[in-house]
Amino acid sequence: MKRLLLLLSFGLLGLVLVVASSHAANTIKVGIVDTYSGPPASYSQDVVDGFKMARDKINAKGGVLGRKIEYTTRDEKFKPDVGLAMAKELVMKENVDILAGTINSATALAISDFVKKEKIPFFVSNAKSERITGQMGHRYVFSTNENTAMAGKAAAVVLAKMPFTKYWIAGDDYEFGHAIGDGVWNNLKALKPSVQLLGQTWWKVGETDFTPYITAIVAAKPDFIIVATGGSGMVNFQKAAKATGLAEKIPFYQHTANEITIGQALGMDAPEGVYGTANYLFYYPATPANKAFAAEFKKLYGRYPKMTALYGYITAEFIARGFQKAGSMNKEKFIDAVEGMVLDDTPVGKIEMRKCDHQVTLPMFWGVTKKSPEYKDFLISSDLVTIPASEYMPTCEQVLKARGK
Amino acid sequence: MGARKSIVALVIILAILAIAPLGLPRFYTYLIALIVTTGLLSTSLNFVLGFGGIYQFHHAVFYGAGAYGAAIMISKLGYSGWLGFVVGPLVAAALSFVIGLICVRLSKLYYGMLQISLGSLVWAIVYRWYGFTGGDDGIHGIPMPELVGSPLGAYYFTLIVGGLSLLVMHRILNSPFGSTLQGIRDNAVRSQAVGVNVRRHQLAAVVIAGFFGGVAGVLFVVVDNSVFPDMMFWTLSLEITIMALLGGWLTFLGPMLGAAVTVSLRTFVSGFTDYWTLILGILLVLVILFLPEGLLGYVFEVWKRRTSESAEE
Amino acid sequence: MDIISFICSPGVLCQVLVGLSRTVILFIVASGLSLILGVLRIPNIAHGSLYMIGAFMAFTVSKVFGGGITGYWMAVLLAPIIVAALSFIAERAIFCRLYEREHIMLFLLTFAFALIFGDLVKLVWGAEYRTVSMPRFFQGSIPIFGLPFPIYNFFLLIMGPLVAIVLWLIVNKTKMGKISRAAAVDREMVGAVGINVSLVFATVFVIGCYLAGLGGALVAPIVNVTLGMDHTLIIEAFLIVIMGGLGNIWGALLGALIFGLSQSLGILIWPQFGIIFPYAAVIVVLSFRPTGLLRSTW
Repeated sequence: MKRLLLLLSFGLLGLVLVVASSHAANTIKVGIVDTYSGPPASYSQDVVDGFKMARDKINAKGGVLGRKIEYTTRDEKFKPDVGLAMAKELVMKENVDILAGTINSATALAISDFVKKEKIPFFVSNAKSERITGQMGHRYVFSTNENTAMAGKAAAVVLAKMPFTKYWIAGDDYEFGHAIGDGVWNNLKALKPSVQLLGQTWWKVGETDFTPYITAIVAAKPDFIIVATGGSGMVNFQKAAKATGLAEKIPFYQHTANEITIGQALGMDAPEGVYGTANYLFYYPATPANKAFAAEFKKLYGRYPKMTALYGYITAEFIARGFQKAGSMNKEKFIDAVEGMVLDDTPVGKIEMRKCDHQVTLPMFWGVTKKSPEYKDFLISSDLVTIPASEYMPTCEQVLKARGK
Repeated sequence: MGARKSIVALVIILAILAIAPLGLPRFYTYLIALIVTTGLLSTSLNFVLGFGGIYQFHHAVFYGAGAYGAAIMISKLGYSGWLGFVVGPLVAAALSFVIGLICVRLSKLYYGMLQISLGSLVWAIVYRWYGFTGGDDGIHGIPMPELVGSPLGAYYFTLIVGGLSLLVMHRILNSPFGSTLQGIRDNAVRSQAVGVNVRRHQLAAVVIAGFFGGVAGVLFVVVDNSVFPDMMFWTLSLEITIMALLGGWLTFLGPMLGAAVTVSLRTFVSGFTDYWTLILGILLVLVILFLPEGLLGYVFEVWKRRTSESAEE
Repeated sequence: MDIISFICSPGVLCQVLVGLSRTVILFIVASGLSLILGVLRIPNIAHGSLYMIGAFMAFTVSKVFGGGITGYWMAVLLAPIIVAALSFIAERAIFCRLYEREHIMLFLLTFAFALIFGDLVKLVWGAEYRTVSMPRFFQGSIPIFGLPFPIYNFFLLIMGPLVAIVLWLIVNKTKMGKISRAAAVDREMVGAVGINVSLVFATVFVIGCYLAGLGGALVAPIVNVTLGMDHTLIIEAFLIVIMGGLGNIWGALLGALIFGLSQSLGILIWPQFGIIFPYAAVIVVLSFRPTGLLRSTW
């Protein structure tokens, strides 16, 4: 018995004493926590690949402040408790200088609370809750992607100029869906008071067959449907829209419907004529910077970059240029440097990390899905309208008001 | 393993852990706090599963109830942290009383499957009730009383509360109630025949386990200052069942050991591969095939065999 | 009585009908689960994973045969068979050694397989979204109550009772079925009369898993085939099985009907918490009939 106790105690001691902290002096270490399994993985891989591509270029030029940028990833499996534990591990054990990542808003908010105490800069690369840089924003959290409120407003800006008046809202019945639905509707109503809402339909997250809902909506005869689905719901809804012939009868909008993640999933079965908004399309605008980005990405990874590749790419750029400008590894100086930083030459043109809320100003591309002679595997977005960030982002006053200041 | 020896083991381990932060990088104190929290959850599950023989398939729901109880008291209703810490486990106990009342009439697998459905119902409500529970985003940045606000404070709080909870559960298992419970597990019909109210004992066990599951939830709030609906998703319940099985579900400290192994391994392995679930799955198959008594159970068995051999000599 | 006239409106009736066609998928998967539970007493958590593998297999098979109608039929034919073969290997290699163990061990073992299968699918098919294209034959819709009703959902509505009848025939009219029913009641007795119980169990297990694969293959054209599609399904299938009575095929059908109806009506009546209606239905059913609606084989 005594031996056993001894064994147990030693085992425990041994377990806790395995100290393997490694921090090479000459690197800038970035820890990325994201979901690499389950449905969201389809988006997360491009964040890392976009990040890696920028990182490799920066390192090839000698790095920043004589240091190479290093990164390490952790798979949180869409579980916030696991994600938070991993973020803590990256900060406390791996001593990362910067944290980045996650498609999961709950994880992003949890990590955001942690980095506030630890004073570690955190770049949210794919989580869509507006609370991240809005209500719950603070000095150490940055966002390199759009959020639900912004997406909703962007669509409203364009829809207000269109002739539709009788609307219907349908979507995934959870925060993401409602936030987009409300975002579109509230802004649309403000911009064009004559619009009327015939009704709403909300289904449970993970709903696979939308046919019953579509038939009910068709019966009400709206002019236009705002569909607030996320992730795999997007694909399922479009399939049902095609099967029921909805796409030909009533036009509808889905955030990121015109983006290739959805396009490639559906292939040539995708319905034409679906309106969507996206922050990035690899074929538009056809600027040299964007063409070079897409070509390089395709060469490296054998596929076209998704919008999330852009988020990863600019995250790396902001980190590199932030430290460059700060001139030291001091994190406070780094934050001061990144605040208000402008990147002139990104694939989508000039963007800025706003000083007031740490939200990046990306343009939004509105378009409608269409078959293209050039791409045989998926539909592209045509009739593109570029909505500049200034038209769809909340103003600094609004953000500060949300933060209660 | 005798009651006293278990307590001695527990006290020695706690003493080592109490001085651990002195020489340990702070990540490891966090990891230990996480292990104690998860281990307490797994132990409270094993209280009904291993010692009560009740198929509590969805135990994590009480973990979540405790955590949400505390978080909502503190963040949404503005009460002090200490009050929240007391209310959390009570909410969990109340919930387990309600669920237990519905399920306890059923036997074995029916109990388990109904319990998993009711637990999923609670999860669904928490997941959807955005105004009250924060919906799928959860509640973050929960303010803590000063004493447990620092990582070190949280560590000692976890250690003390976790240790006390284990002691109390151990006492209960070694009380007449505990022996009756184990008697029911081994032969419910016989217990019934000698006049034991089987259902009432099982319900009491479920409520006690739910209460300590809630305590674990509170510890999570103290350590991580956040709550999310995933804390009561059914997969977590199965993960803590694995921990109990891995450590040894017929031993008292087995689940704690299982939690230590699983959580450390997950932390270690995640640095190298994204296929942690695959590894966990294979590990689980191996344990079921070759170590059905779990790690600690195996150690005890070997030890028992050896002592009986030496006694014969 | 607003609700009644509301429910009887064509739009809602049509919605309910389509909801039922989705229930067919649930029924097919749940009947397999129920079969395994009834005879082998394994609450097979990996059943959802097999459904997912069935859908992914349908994707691959359909692609190999160049999509279209041939691809679709080959997928519906082959994908479940591949899933059944996979489950046969798992059964012979591991499960068959553990039938004498506690339920909880078997339950956890199936969870281990769910974990392993989940990551294997990711290894084999990657994390991208996949879709199986709907064959032209099934595209379009026919009018019911004056509203468009997709042909494929109509096809599913026919498939449900068909599968139920075939299963009923297998269980009640074949020798195999009779032995397995007897084995479910008294394993030792069946062994004593010289029947290889282990082989009977293997067959039942494989048939059950075949149904999971079939469900996956049938659902593939209307959904997005993706990792994690097993997680919600398996809990729903469990609910259906306990509602209907463990091991009872007709119970599974009844359970699936109640589940599908309470879900689609629930969403209409109280959109925000529509999700809780199926659970509430289960609680009500089990409060009155603790062992499910129909006679369980237990």
